[in-house]
Amino acid sequence: MLLQVIASGVLMGFVYALVAIGLTLIWGVMDIINFAHGEFLMISMYTVFWMYTLLKFDPFVSLPVAALLIFVISYLTYKIIIKRVIDAPGLTALLATFGLSLFIRNLAQFLWSPDYRFVTTSLVADKKITMGPVIIGLPQMAAAMGSIIMTVLVFYFIQKTKTGRAIQATALDRDTAKLMGIDTEKVYAITFGISGACVGVAGALMATFFPVYPESGALYSLLAFVIVALGGFGNIKGALYGGIIIGLAEALGGFAFGTQFKYAVVFLIYLLVIQVRPKGLFGW
Amino acid sequence: MKKFFSLILVLFLVAGLILAGCGQQKQAQEQPAQQNQDTKQETQTVKIGAILPLSGSAAATGVKLKYAIETAQEIINGEHPEINMELAKSAGLPNLNGAKVEFIFADHQANPEVAKSEAERLIQNEKVVGLIGCYHSSATKPASQVAERFQIPFVAGSSSSAALTERGLKWFTRIAPHDGMETVLFFDYLKFLNEKYSAGIKKVAVVYIDNEYGVHAFEMVKKTIENYKADGFELVADIKYPANVSNVDTEVQKVKAAKPDAIFHASYIGDMTQFVKKYKELNVVPKVVLSYCGGYQDPQFVVNLGKDADYFSGPNATTSALFSKMPDLEKINEIYKAKSGVDIDGPTLEDFASAMVIAEAINKAGTTEPAKVLEALKTQEFAAPYFVSGKIKFGDDGQNIHSASVMTQIQNGIYEAVWPTDYQTKEPIPAFPDWSKR
Amino acid sequence: MMKKMKFHPLLVIFFVILILPFINDNINFHHIMIMFLIYAGLGEAWNIITGFAGQTSFGHAAFFGIGAYTSTVLFYRMHISPWAGMILGILLATLVAAVVSYPCFKLKGHYFAIATLAIAEIIKQIFISWEYVEGATGISIPVMDEGILNMQFHTSKIPYFLIAFAIFSIAVLTAHYIEQNKMGFYLKAIREGGDAAEAIGIDTVKYKLFAMMISAALSAAFGTLYAQYILYIDPFMVFTMDVSMKIVLLTVLGGLGSIYGPIIGAAILIPLSEYTRIFLGGTGKGVDLIIFGALIVAVACFEPEGILGIFKKGQRKKRGVDYARATT
Repeated sequence: MLLQVIASGVLMGFVYALVAIGLTLIWGVMDIINFAHGEFLMISMYTVFWMYTLLKFDPFVSLPVAALLIFVISYLTYKIIIKRVIDAPGLTALLATFGLSLFIRNLAQFLWSPDYRFVTTSLVADKKITMGPVIIGLPQMAAAMGSIIMTVLVFYFIQKTKTGRAIQATALDRDTAKLMGIDTEKVYAITFGISGACVGVAGALMATFFPVYPESGALYSLLAFVIVALGGFGNIKGALYGGIIIGLAEALGGFAFGTQFKYAVVFLIYLLVIQVRPKGLFGW
Repeated sequence: MKKFFSLILVLFLVAGLILAGCGQQKQAQEQPAQQNQDTKQETQTVKIGAILPLSGSAAATGVKLKYAIETAQEIINGEHPEINMELAKSAGLPNLNGAKVEFIFADHQANPEVAKSEAERLIQNEKVVGLIGCYHSSATKPASQVAERFQIPFVAGSSSSAALTERGLKWFTRIAPHDGMETVLFFDYLKFLNEKYSAGIKKVAVVYIDNEYGVHAFEMVKKTIENYKADGFELVADIKYPANVSNVDTEVQKVKAAKPDAIFHASYIGDMTQFVKKYKELNVVPKVVLSYCGGYQDPQFVVNLGKDADYFSGPNATTSALFSKMPDLEKINEIYKAKSGVDIDGPTLEDFASAMVIAEAINKAGTTEPAKVLEALKTQEFAAPYFVSGKIKFGDDGQNIHSASVMTQIQNGIYEAVWPTDYQTKEPIPAFPDWSKR
Repeated sequence: MMKKMKFHPLLVIFFVILILPFINDNINFHHIMIMFLIYAGLGEAWNIITGFAGQTSFGHAAFFGIGAYTSTVLFYRMHISPWAGMILGILLATLVAAVVSYPCFKLKGHYFAIATLAIAEIIKQIFISWEYVEGATGISIPVMDEGILNMQFHTSKIPYFLIAFAIFSIAVLTAHYIEQNKMGFYLKAIREGGDAAEAIGIDTVKYKLFAMMISAALSAAFGTLYAQYILYIDPFMVFTMDVSMKIVLLTVLGGLGSIYGPIIGAAILIPLSEYTRIFLGGTGKGVDLIIFGALIVAVACFEPEGILGIFKKGQRKKRGVDYARATT
């Protein structure tokens, strides 16, 4: 049973990491807490749900559509809202993203009702892999694979491509980057878009095994905040490892101390780690 | 310059607060005027407040409750001779010269603070003579305290926490059976299964959400199981999970390890569905799963899970399978379905009942005077042809002494009534097949 | 400039707030005034640690909740007057603030913010699981005789309003006093750059700790009043992130780091959320919160300094160069 708990914990960790990657990117590059991140996740889940219900598309078919859609929404969010608040003092950017999250969440309730919905069939639905005493659901497995692929992709994009290097330079020092001829405005917009695409993929994969409802995003974004801070802001590897640690902490903590304490254990782990490494595990 | 600054500030404050307040005051001034007119024309409308979760996480349910109460309003105010109920036949309340009933809706957003302020607003500004609601027990608590203070009768429909009727409130009554009664029902049903079908159910696990609803349900199980020790029941696991849970992997593994014959669930629709999916994934096969009034009773449960929802059970005030046996209920459902698009379900019917009962109590009292209405509520018996119990009668503590619940089980996607046997639409199936064989 | 002034703007604001409930005696309006005072006061308290000292706290619900629970449990279990409970709650919240935030002060920026959030969530879980305080079931405060000793008033809301006003005034004056004195300048120096403040000899940890403790103490006092006013509390209501975020929102909306900010923010946000709910909430469609969210985004985009920024602009135009010189 302990093996099963660990396996489930690690798998959940990958799923959390998937949500956290997009968040850490914006946070690291622009130093903005995007409170609407969870709501982007929710829109992606609804996209998959509606394409499934109305057009009978499999979630894996609608995955690129969701990713692209959230990319565009994020890009526009930057152009319309974030651009105006990025240089504002104090917590104005937070105010803007928080307002946006309220707006999107309640708009979703207005348009699609607060019902809990599910994507009931997909390529991976109800399939499972049994390895001795350990049973792993295929949907979770797919999400975990997606998480690893996304991490590698984003990592290489940031490290190897020209745009990626421009993002890195802007994150380090915006003014110098500007002087070097980098269009930081464009860099920011693209970063926001990529973050959206990440969460779009996350939503599509998660919709295969989690309920879809207006508040569904808020739940994961709170954990994603902790994961991002645990891994270190802006650190993609940190988000992945942070996700796994949190997933394991949740599963093992729930197993050892009673499941009602599983989130308390997660928060406690963060507080302990941050005492030793004040800038997160991989913070710079 | 500072003076100029302060002037703007003050103007802003006044704009923000007084302007909004004025709108209210205007309303408040209109009210007495209307009231005077009313007394001249022998009370034309009787206003009753309904406080429901119309936004937030329980909004889906709240909206349905609203339709049910609107159905009650239509039945009371219109002429419906086809329904065999006192208030259905004539338009309005006959003992008040055919006065019409108007339900005024307020949203408590699942927040006790809002429930309290809305109760005050309904009583003070809208001049309601009675209150119904609030679905969430945590919202019903402060709202009914307000009613107690203003001495206005409060009839709760589907709030099920036993704590509500343990507070010694004079002005509070409740239709739904509380979780203590539900727990007794659970064990009696298990006993019935053991005796009639030799189901061999002994080990009981309780899975519950970490909030007032779940924790209270578990306390009731702990207390009640003592009386059923002789029947061989034992508690093998209690698993509490956080409200707003993101996944239930560890929870289900703990259930599986305990190998229970029966699982009692106190869960809402979202978490309940996740549990069922995990039971399937990890192949957990108990004999019976019984659910407290919550997620299971929501018809969305079957919609979301399809075949996987089969064999789950829970008490319910009604089920669509019963409509053919109960003609009055069927006609009520017709009106309700025209509004909401779905069949009436248990909690919704209980809130419908609360609307009917308070109107009937006012009618029986022949006046809207709160003390007389309360007396009617506490002493009279109310006919309820829409419940299997057929009647509603409140005890001294305000609890409806007739439990209106039947045990239902989902079979082929339909909520079938399986117990008590008088109302059986299908025989219960006291075993889960293996998940792969569905 | 100061000498020419006849009335301090704060006095005018206090006076207006104080007479409003006597002009309009609608009970619902009184309710809104009480909630306005509670949230404006919480905003003032939060402003001290976040607005002045620059340490973002997302966990102020913890102190609010501790205040609410301390007095409620003492009243419920031992029939101790809520006033004594309030003082004990303040002490307890101050203690908790000191103990939990001290190790966190070495964290910078958002790392600190997330830590406060984590602490609040852990404290919430402790209260949910703690049977002596009735855990998740919550406590219905026994309805006692009306009176100042029991802090319960059933016939009128004016006494609640006056108590709220008193605590609110203390919060505003405390914030004002800090702002005008040495401590305020030190805190602002810490906000603008911790290392620089350290370099000029400010004990940053000590002052951050003071700010946090004062802030927690004020929040706890409102907690007691809130519990006695609603007469029912459970952990989900008082420890929720919603309360923490509401405090953050209204202060940033009004203007961060100014004693007028929370007052303006609460004066807009509280009536707005009450009235949109009353007029639109009954539809069950969440329209009120859609409008609310859009409004917040609009303010953030067009008035990044909060609504206070509008006033400042007006002033700047009139004063022209004079103002610019004064600020630099």
